[in-house]
Amino acid sequence: MGRLFRPVTFALLLVALPAYAGDRSLEYAVKAAFLYKFASFVDWPPGSFETESSPFVLCVVGADPFGGRIRSAANGQTVGSHPIILRQLAKEEPRSNCHAMFVSGSDGKSASEALNSVRGTPTLTVTDSALGPTAGIIHFVIADDRVTFDIDNAAAARNHLVISSKLLALARRVNTARPAAVP
Amino acid sequence: MSGGDRLSAHRFTPAYALASAVVLLAAGIAVSAYQDRLFRAQQVSEVTVQGQILASSVTAALVFGDAKAVQEHVSALKINPEIEAAGVYDGTTLVASFARGGKQPLPRSLTDRSTLVMSGRTEIVVPVMQGATRLGTVCIRAIDTPLAHRLTRHLAIMLLAIMAALLVAFMGTTQRTLRAVNRETELRALALAETNQLLQNEMEERSKAEDALRQSQKMEAVGQLSGGLAHDFNNLLAIIDGNLHLLRQTGADDQPAMQSYLDAAGEAVDRAGSVVRRLLAFSRRQPLSPRRVDINQLITDMKDLFLHSAGERVRIEWNLNATWTTHCDLNQLENVILNLAINARDAMPEGGTIAIETNDVTLNDRTRGGDVAPGDYVEIRVRDSGTGMTEEVRKRAIDPFFTTKPQGRGTGLGLSMAFSFIRQSNGYLNIETAPGQGTTIVILLPRHLGSELRGIA
Repeated sequence: MGRLFRPVTFALLLVALPAYAGDRSLEYAVKAAFLYKFASFVDWPPGSFETESSPFVLCVVGADPFGGRIRSAANGQTVGSHPIILRQLAKEEPRSNCHAMFVSGSDGKSASEALNSVRGTPTLTVTDSALGPTAGIIHFVIADDRVTFDIDNAAAARNHLVISSKLLALARRVNTARPAAVP
Repeated sequence: MSGGDRLSAHRFTPAYALASAVVLLAAGIAVSAYQDRLFRAQQVSEVTVQGQILASSVTAALVFGDAKAVQEHVSALKINPEIEAAGVYDGTTLVASFARGGKQPLPRSLTDRSTLVMSGRTEIVVPVMQGATRLGTVCIRAIDTPLAHRLTRHLAIMLLAIMAALLVAFMGTTQRTLRAVNRETELRALALAETNQLLQNEMEERSKAEDALRQSQKMEAVGQLSGGLAHDFNNLLAIIDGNLHLLRQTGADDQPAMQSYLDAAGEAVDRAGSVVRRLLAFSRRQPLSPRRVDINQLITDMKDLFLHSAGERVRIEWNLNATWTTHCDLNQLENVILNLAINARDAMPEGGTIAIETNDVTLNDRTRGGDVAPGDYVEIRVRDSGTGMTEEVRKRAIDPFFTTKPQGRGTGLGLSMAFSFIRQSNGYLNIETAPGQGTTIVILLPRHLGSELRGIA
């Protein structure tokens, strides 16, 4: 199967229900659900977790567009054996030890700053095209009225993260090229 | 090969051949069935692996509810011709599937796992897991290879088995044919042996005939010799007799001594004449004067003569049953019968019984014996209760001058002359005897149907 279905498929991969689009609350419910599900398809480098039962820290930096949906979606969920902890941050704080970070940043500058601050650390950054063009490793997009995402695999590699080919296969677009120098 | 072996082998070999053929076929079928099962097991394992790969591939798509991606994964399985239908269930709901044209699609809802496993199909069910969480289920139904296709796969083995079976059957048949041929050959050999036996019998008969011919030539020679001698001798006797008569007329028998000399000489001449007649009869030169003869009458007239000849110690039984008449020389027949009676008496020095019997007999092809011609005969049997003869003696009994009597008692011409006369009269003479069993001389004379006047009263 693997050889038949290459992860580098550039075909559009669409999320199930077209009804999600157009309804922002549904859209963000889907995105909230996606947010913690991504973690299952990403490998963090060794040492990212102190113990097997150390919590998985999911941070939301800046304004929270989900309105509490992340909390309800991630409630009681685990990433592997790690329970999910949700942390709301006004802006990126050093040594916040986020494993995954949703960067809303209503203006591109603060978003870029936040992304830059975790560059090279094992942090999975997630951004939303609806909130600005600044893209993290995973970038939510709406295509054909469906919630889908682009993946910047090069950025993931910079952050020492390994994204499962299964997830890559679902991405609308995957960037594997070495990124140009980030300003 | 003995008869029993042949019989049993003949009976069992086709059965063996048949059994072998059946066994071979069964073995072929068994091997094919085993291979079929093996193939199915392999099919199941292959499809299971593919199901596991699919289950692992669609994890993310299921997690993110990407039905299209799931469908792409599922559709990719179409490339495998072994797979008839495949589907992925999110929970229990079918989210993506395909089924080849005309094939039964997978159920839309996975409410009961047993509905998936249908008889005669190879279906596998693999859970889609993320970590310890079961996300859904992958179902794959392998194509149900038609029996014909499966049989085609096993064609080689079946062909081999069938060929082997045919070979065995052919060998059985061949052997059977061979046996039949052998049997025929044997029958021919038997027929040949039979023919050989016939040939040998013929050779023996021919040899007998040659013996008989030689015998008859011998008799002929002896007859000619003795006949010639007898004629000359008869002429000489006539001269002697005539001269004896002249001597009497000249009164030479006045003297008593002379008288007795002449009588003795006359008697000797008579006896010599008798011998000469016998010789002539034997050589068949004696002219016969055949006439109609009533055998019973003849024998009745001879009774006194028989009684005198037989003597006191011999009893004579008469059984004259013949009603037919024959045609022959009366005097000669009389002589023959008297001779036979005398021979019978001589065979019983201690006394006994002579039975003289006459019968009417009709011989047809079935009842006649030896060289006797079929027809009506008057039979004369002269039986004694005497010593009998060995086969050796019996064979020579009718040879001229053969006798078992002491020197001077018999001439050895009696039976020979009788035989000669009877043959001359178109009759037969046969001797039935065995040592200690007595002897019976059987004479057959042809029945006379003519109206010639009876020769004797």
